[in-house]
Amino acid sequence: MSEPASVPSTPFAHASEAEMSRILDFYAVRWEYEPDTFPILWNLDGDVVESFSPDFYLPDLDLYLEMTTLRQRLVRKKNRKLRRLRELYPDLNVKLFYARDFRALMLKYGKLALFDGLSGSSGQVASPYGVPELANETPGIELPAVIDPPALPAPRRRRRAAAPDPATKGPAILS
Amino acid sequence: MNEVAHLHEDVGEILLTEEEIAAKVRELGARISADYAGRRVTLVSVLKGSLPFMADLMRAIDIPVRIDLMEVSSYGGSATESSGLVRILKDLSASIADEDVLIVEDIIDTGLTLNYLIRYLRGKAPASLRICTLLDKPARRLVEIPVDYTGFTIPDQFVVGYGLDYGELYRNLRYVGVLKPEVYSEVRAEVDGV
Repeated sequence: MSEPASVPSTPFAHASEAEMSRILDFYAVRWEYEPDTFPILWNLDGDVVESFSPDFYLPDLDLYLEMTTLRQRLVRKKNRKLRRLRELYPDLNVKLFYARDFRALMLKYGKLALFDGLSGSSGQVASPYGVPELANETPGIELPAVIDPPALPAPRRRRRAAAPDPATKGPAILS
Repeated sequence: MNEVAHLHEDVGEILLTEEEIAAKVRELGARISADYAGRRVTLVSVLKGSLPFMADLMRAIDIPVRIDLMEVSSYGGSATESSGLVRILKDLSASIADEDVLIVEDIIDTGLTLNYLIRYLRGKAPASLRICTLLDKPARRLVEIPVDYTGFTIPDQFVVGYGLDYGELYRNLRYVGVLKPEVYSEVRAEVDGV
């Protein structure tokens, strides 16, 4: 079996993601953290204005895993993005892991006391990219109209072993 | 009040009665007996939760069976340190090479433990490897695993009884029930020192 990924070297955006990585390591399930970014919305000029980067990719299972322990409003947004992702990339195997799923997992492993500390905003850790997760939630900012892309590009591989230089990174990617 | 009565009080709803479980075990035993007719099957039970199911199922099968027991460590890491890797706490007591093996599980939810176990047992070169579970909770599945024999597909609730535990208790209940949420909330409060 492969060596598990090294948790301390991965800059997780949320403590629940770090806990999930430990669970996957424990059961010898290989994972990659946010390796791919899938464009899901383009403006009229064909520029990508919204993307989806699932939290984990489990290569042995060919499964993307997106975790959300956030507020209901953001869960709705994530559900919308997931629907769009599935429309555009129907062959992708994506599972959304809700707060209740994570809570059940903690209960199963006798770690329910950790749940409050690992969920919601209290579980947030500083983003290594300086990308505010709520940027597109700002009232008054409207997303451009949805248009069908002329051709779907391959997902952008985004290896995160090292954090990119904030000065040179591309447009904010919402997840 | 005796201890067993206290356990019953912690159950909010009986999901599967003793009679329903017994009927399903008989049905599964008959199916397995028919599918493996003329052969010998090795039942591998995963401790501790599947013990009652294993004990009942093996007696519902009327072809030659061998039994073996395995125990696999469960995840219990903290938020700050790694729990290491899953370990085989109790390994098979006999070879399963060229044997028809049927894994007997109490419940499949995430599939993580079973996924590990399948990979491990495949390395022992059995002639065939199939899975039988009393309960299937597909809403929690992370690893999709084809299950050959399923007793009941259950909703996404925390269940105890008939081998299934919470904090090592409730395994001796004869039915499968949904644990009242306040039971684990109380435990959490104790852990938190509230």
